[in-house]
Amino acid sequence: MEVSFRKEIANLKLGAGSTFHGEGILAVTKALLQSGVGYVGGYQGAPVSHLLDVLLQSEDILAELGVHLQTCTNEAAAAALLAASINYPVRGAVTWKSIVGTNVAADALSNLASAGVIGGALIVVGEDYGEGASVIQERTHAFALKSSVWLLDPRPDLPTIVRMVEKGFELSEASNTPVIVELRIRACHVYGSFEAKDNVAAKVSTNARLADPAVFDYAKLSHPPVTFNQEIDKVTRRRPAAEQFILDHQLNEFVGPADGDVGIIVQGGLFNVLNDRLTAAGLSDIYGNSAVSTLVLNVTHPLSSRQITEFCAGKKAVLVVEEGAPDFLEQAIGQILRKADLQTKLHGKDCLPMAGEYTPLVMADGLAKFLKLQTVQPTVSSPLEGAAKGGGATSARLDSAANVLTNWLTEHQSRVTKVAGALQTPLPARPPTFCTGCPERPVFSAMKILKQETGAVHVAADIGCHAFGTFAPFSQGNSILGYGMSLASAAAVSSVQQKRPVSIMGDGGFWHNGLLSGVASAAFNKDDGVLIVMNNGYSSATGTQDLPSSRPNDEGRGKGIEIERSLRALGLEWIRRVRTYGVSEVKQTLDAAIRSKEKGLKVIIADGECQLARQRRVRPALAAAVAKGQRIVRQRFWIDPDICTGDRSCIRLSGCPSLTVKPSEDPLRSDPIAHVNNDCVGCGLCGEVAHAAQLCPSFARIDIIQNPGPWDRFKRTISAGLMNLSGAREAAL
Amino acid sequence: MTPPVTTPTRLLIAALGGEGGGVLAGWITEAAVASGLVVSRTSIPGVAQRTGATTYYIEMIAAVTGKPRPVLALNPAPGQVDILLASELLEATRLAGTGMLSADRTTLIANTARVFTMDEKMAMADGRRDSDAMIKILETSARHAILADFNAIAVTAKAPLSAIMLGALAAAEVLPLSADALRAAVRHEGKSVAANLSGFEAGFAAISSGATSSIAAVAPSPEKKVVAVAEFPARTSVVAAEGVARLTDYQNAAYAGTYLDHLRRFAAMPDVDDALLSELARHLAVRMSVEDVIRVAQLKLRAARLARVTAEAKARPGDIVDITEFMKPGTDEILGLFPPLLARPLMRLATKLGLADAAMPLTVTTTRLSGFLRLKFLAALRGWRPRTHKFHEEQIWLRHWLGLVEATAKRDPEAARELIATAKIVRGYGATYKRGMTSFERIASTLVEPALTAAHPPPDLADQILQARIAAEKDPEGAALTATLSAIALKPSRILQAAQ
Repeated sequence: MEVSFRKEIANLKLGAGSTFHGEGILAVTKALLQSGVGYVGGYQGAPVSHLLDVLLQSEDILAELGVHLQTCTNEAAAAALLAASINYPVRGAVTWKSIVGTNVAADALSNLASAGVIGGALIVVGEDYGEGASVIQERTHAFALKSSVWLLDPRPDLPTIVRMVEKGFELSEASNTPVIVELRIRACHVYGSFEAKDNVAAKVSTNARLADPAVFDYAKLSHPPVTFNQEIDKVTRRRPAAEQFILDHQLNEFVGPADGDVGIIVQGGLFNVLNDRLTAAGLSDIYGNSAVSTLVLNVTHPLSSRQITEFCAGKKAVLVVEEGAPDFLEQAIGQILRKADLQTKLHGKDCLPMAGEYTPLVMADGLAKFLKLQTVQPTVSSPLEGAAKGGGATSARLDSAANVLTNWLTEHQSRVTKVAGALQTPLPARPPTFCTGCPERPVFSAMKILKQETGAVHVAADIGCHAFGTFAPFSQGNSILGYGMSLASAAAVSSVQQKRPVSIMGDGGFWHNGLLSGVASAAFNKDDGVLIVMNNGYSSATGTQDLPSSRPNDEGRGKGIEIERSLRALGLEWIRRVRTYGVSEVKQTLDAAIRSKEKGLKVIIADGECQLARQRRVRPALAAAVAKGQRIVRQRFWIDPDICTGDRSCIRLSGCPSLTVKPSEDPLRSDPIAHVNNDCVGCGLCGEVAHAAQLCPSFARIDIIQNPGPWDRFKRTISAGLMNLSGAREAAL
Repeated sequence: MTPPVTTPTRLLIAALGGEGGGVLAGWITEAAVASGLVVSRTSIPGVAQRTGATTYYIEMIAAVTGKPRPVLALNPAPGQVDILLASELLEATRLAGTGMLSADRTTLIANTARVFTMDEKMAMADGRRDSDAMIKILETSARHAILADFNAIAVTAKAPLSAIMLGALAAAEVLPLSADALRAAVRHEGKSVAANLSGFEAGFAAISSGATSSIAAVAPSPEKKVVAVAEFPARTSVVAAEGVARLTDYQNAAYAGTYLDHLRRFAAMPDVDDALLSELARHLAVRMSVEDVIRVAQLKLRAARLARVTAEAKARPGDIVDITEFMKPGTDEILGLFPPLLARPLMRLATKLGLADAAMPLTVTTTRLSGFLRLKFLAALRGWRPRTHKFHEEQIWLRHWLGLVEATAKRDPEAARELIATAKIVRGYGATYKRGMTSFERIASTLVEPALTAAHPPPDLADQILQARIAAEKDPEGAALTATLSAIALKPSRILQAAQ
């Protein structure tokens, strides 16, 4: 079951004269509709999932505007979707999480970029970099450079984001080039407001279909020999057109005085953190009235040589504020300055770190270094009274600003040191983990018990909730190679290991990539390995979106395409299905798969519905049924505090958030004992683990019969009566 | 005319994924918008899963006509946060550790209740961080620290924690928003309005009444009527009384008498003080009441359990509650019920047949007659217990341990104290119990026994035993114990002794 987005959908319907209040990614969605987009697609992933999630539930808006919506099975399909804009004057937008999604999309993206587009083509990527990121730390910028697609990095302010989306389509059409809009995690989630416009129906759409297909035009194919001309066209025609558009429409912004000795060139997405630190240093204010001349690059590729040259001319030094490695912008600006023979000193990664997120601390440190360099260098003239040229800050003011920042950093360090000293040992981390009652946890419990019994095997992990199996208490997994890539990543491992490696894959990864890259390849090569497919019914880690194999139902988009049937179609024979909560059965099946004399791929489909989705569906339904007086049995687990001796073996085999510890009530014992709190959803894992691992007899399942019927009460009365006759009362003593 | 505000109010929320931090941030944002402020809110929720540490950051400032849109920051700057709202103690402390709190500026509103991290929960010994130490850090890190057990308030108010926290925030009067604006935001959001509003009022009342300094402590367990055993010194007399009560319940008065006899023997020794004796009384009582199959059945039949379970599971009046026990007695536990003469050959046979580690999974519903009768039968074997193999084995172990403690106490009372405490590693059931037993034997044979026979026992024997005990509870595989024991063996003091 997918989440409901009633309020967000209402936001998408706003017209001119209304104010939109909401998160960045929804502002982007609204901007797409305001731009007359004809089709939208993509692959879910934080932080951009909501773009698709909300549109999926907006059938009426889509129908009215004639927008086609495609739930792509991976990012390559999403990039390929944009091919409609190669031949037809239709605007299209796709979205995915970057860098990982862009990697998957790379092939289609290159071909799209080579042929070029006539309808605006926009790619909205969530730049998953820094705190809160869940993927490898690389820059989307590299793809923009190599494929000659334009990259927008808007200031994280809703009107600017919306304007960049709207202008992005125009830029794409003016230069026949796809455009990437890059939003960092906090920008995707930033709540703000902008003045809405009316939605615009696309000129070419599902409501206004073209009568004829495009005429045959070999030049639109990414196929030699025209690819050679396309490569030249990218740099001789499309790029100059883009640069001209950027200048004409003032996509980049100038902040602060036009001149002055020093300047800053900043990626749009970093402007707010820069301004915040400049404000703290007394060089700007809450309205962005910076005393330092600043060029805000809402477009980070291409750069206009003219714009950069004009900005730097007359400045003694500029600082390039560019997050992540390599320093693409700094290199490009350096080249522009050199070719223009400007002597402006170029700073960037010498003051700021080459890699890592530019947090306020990092920004302050870099700014302080840069500002200090401007005041101590003898080349910087210090005219009488320290008056700088034009409207720029004086040398003395820069120096004092640097001192303010340095002092702030010193104070910060002393606070950190003080707390660290008081804590003595660092606090334990708290990474995300499987939800209470998650169906994937029992599989890792089974794997851990099997490991204790028969020794370790190589485990190829994957992307998805099951990647939490790499955290304590399971700590399983030797590599992660990408979404749906676990089986492929174990192919050569199996040839150098005596024991078969085990690959873990979710149903999300299976449909994203795993079926072809992993299973078909293993079948083709007769690889001898074990694959566990976690069949929880959704793409859960990205927000429980439906998959091809999701159960078809009223609300969802699932098609019930069977994983098992697809495996059989590839000729696999050793296929077992297990209920994930049956720990003993999972353990035995996995053991059998590892030891089997049969050669070839052995697949275990581990069935268990995502508990987050299940609870979302079941909880209100059960509450309603109980309120109506229906007989409902609620289950949860309990640990007998008199029997638990506090060794906590159970926790080391479960890690469930609702299985925790509490002080022992026994005056003779000092260590805390295990305890199941009221978040327990009664998934049954505790009992299964207690049995599978021969843990202890402390666990009990509690069945609460709500609204019991006469038969329930009769049975209970008889049982209680007989028990009393058998001495239950004495046992109470 | 007052000059316009030029710095925004900065609010950071520390929460655990899935517990309503997003809803809380949403209410505050909504109230700010409705009050005509310019507001920005960001978060890094990342994956949709629960329980990971996460933060929400809000900046708000009054709109000024004629001025451009304020540029609000998306990242909290350490030391420049005006309000930190933390739903969990360790997460509040974590942010203090990153320097987020300023003693000149920050108002901290933090829940003192704990949600333990995996590291703390999975530790074999007590891995919990010291709450008092964390509270002390918070009190000295913030300008104003409002600390309270908001979980307790939430339980009483039957409302979500996020609503309690919102009420507390309103009562702290640190936002440029009225309490009514926050109430209105809860209504506007429209979900579980009644429960959330009652939670808001509970949180509001708790903070505005100034009840914050009293941090609700863990409720002490109800006083049991135990008569102190007067013949022993103060502490021991109380513990011994507990021990006698437990062992009488476990077996009978005679068995409890044996326990007292052991204590009397030690009490008569010259170097045994009250501290040592009371610890011995504690551990001896636990070890003498080992949880064998009979004891487990006995405990599971207590009628008091049903009332307790019914309350804990929040069953409503009229609901029927059933308790189904998960038990899996192993071969040794089952054969342990037989007399030694029979159990030993049977155990050998089981080993031969590869059944030594076998176990029988059972689910027993004790609230129903058939399940009740099965456990009743087992519990009724109490009188038979002294004849069982398990009891016999336990007595051998007890004699061994007590003998070592006695001999050690004569030479090195500090070491005896540690040896007494080491008894706690023998606990649990099945494999856990066997592992504890093995670890104890390793410590006894490697450290204690050689020291007792050596001409010059190591001066740091107590520390050695302590280190070994900590190591034994580091990892279930026993790797840390192995490392510690070999490190002790290589210590210069040992080599020196060998030379002597």
